[in-house]
Amino acid sequence: MPDETTLEGWTPEIGGGLTLEEVVERAFDYRGNVTVVRTDGAEVEGYLFNRCGDVAAPFVELFDGNGDGPLTIRYAEIRTIRFTGRDTAAGNSYAAWLRAREAAKKTSGAPPAAGA
Amino acid sequence: MSVPLSQMWAVAAYVLRQRLRGRRRYPLVLMLEPLFRCNLACAGCGKIQYPPQILRKHLSVEQCLRAVEECGAPMVSIPGGEPLMYPEIGPLVRELVARKKYVYLCTNAILLGEKLAAGLFEPSKYLSFSVHMDGLRAEHDEAVCREGVFEEAVAGIREALARGFRVTTNTTLFEGTNPLRMREFFDAMMDLGVEGMMISPGYSYSKAPDQEHFLRRQRAHELFSRMLSHPKRRWKFNQSTLFLQFLMGKHDFECTPWGNPTYNMFGWQRPCYLLQEGYASSFAELMATTRWEQYGQRSGNDKCRDCMVHCGYEPTAVHHTFASWRGLRGTVVATLTGRL
Ligand code: SF4
Ligand code: SF4
Repeated sequence: MPDETTLEGWTPEIGGGLTLEEVVERAFDYRGNVTVVRTDGAEVEGYLFNRCGDVAAPFVELFDGNGDGPLTIRYAEIRTIRFTGRDTAAGNSYAAWLRAREAAKKTSGAPPAAGA
Repeated sequence: MSVPLSQMWAVAAYVLRQRLRGRRRYPLVLMLEPLFRCNLACAGCGKIQYPPQILRKHLSVEQCLRAVEECGAPMVSIPGGEPLMYPEIGPLVRELVARKKYVYLCTNAILLGEKLAAGLFEPSKYLSFSVHMDGLRAEHDEAVCREGVFEEAVAGIREALARGFRVTTNTTLFEGTNPLRMREFFDAMMDLGVEGMMISPGYSYSKAPDQEHFLRRQRAHELFSRMLSHPKRRWKFNQSTLFLQFLMGKHDFECTPWGNPTYNMFGWQRPCYLLQEGYASSFAELMATTRWEQYGQRSGNDKCRDCMVHCGYEPTAVHHTFASWRGLRGTVVATLTGRL
């Protein structure tokens, strides 16, 4: 995954060629919190860690913002999913660390903090 | 090989029992991840990239033990995150040892001295600290993205050995690894007095943020051949001879993804420790409903194409060791002659 690619901030509208299944799949791959918008307008924010699309009533599972759960939400109850939380994978590659290290060496001689 | 005889016997007896029962798929090592939190942030590690509420969470000892019972594997590896940050690590290890499970506690060893001094663990043939060591000082500190960690890990290893614990090392190798430096590293670890070493190529799993520095298959064969050719007799590896030979390109094994099933706060991970394609709520469900035919090199799955990682191929090697006279003979010969 290139550093620059992140879905952080994405607020997809289902329809026009974009299916809910596709958005669920992206949310499952996403390393940050998302906000699931239900068909009744209610919202729940959390980490979507699982989805099961090949059963009679497909569902997603998530831990909410407090880490409570797992909550199970059926696809049929979901209007869309917004990518609201920070993408914890973005910018954390080894290559990015090497670049940061070189830059830090040039300026101060000190290595960057881990994960920088 | 440096695996103690009692452990080798326990694993051999387990494999034979599975075969006598006609079980085609059985687990060898449970990968038990009680938490994802870590006190390091190594580049290339996808295990720690979660939002804060997930990093704060951990499994209960009861959840861990239930998973161990469900799975039934004779060995339990506890990676993470950093398992020494798990508040219940002492009680968990005690319970596993009481159940005669061979436990590999995989740690970066930063907290090892402190936890040993606190009396959290007792030496046992069932417990081994498997210390993350990605090379000599320069290579290791670079891999873990922090200066000084190599020395901390060495201090932890010395302390554990002095207290009579079993200690092994686990090393993940990436593109650019210098085979000569690795041979020096093997010497250094043997000088330290560790029981054995485990080595494996890294894997470019889809959620890992860094793809470029992972080894491709042919390069991996070349690297391991240069690193392990004419091995010194004093080098001890805590893994199967056939797996090391596979890394050198001497065997054409297929992956056994169910060999090292993974359990964490999300459930039973499909299909393996590396790929996260979903979760099952029980071990039985994992085994029954995962589409195993979609994984492994021969499946044509892109994600598996270059994978040679120990969690997929070590179980294959162990199976081959005990499944045929040829496998057993090869292992015995390598053990007696010290040749790979
Ligand atoms: S010590 Fe292990 S778990 Fe922690 S960041 Fe490094 S590779 Fe990941
Ligand atoms: S080859 Fe096996 S261990 Fe490697 S990614 Fe595929 S299923 Fe996982």
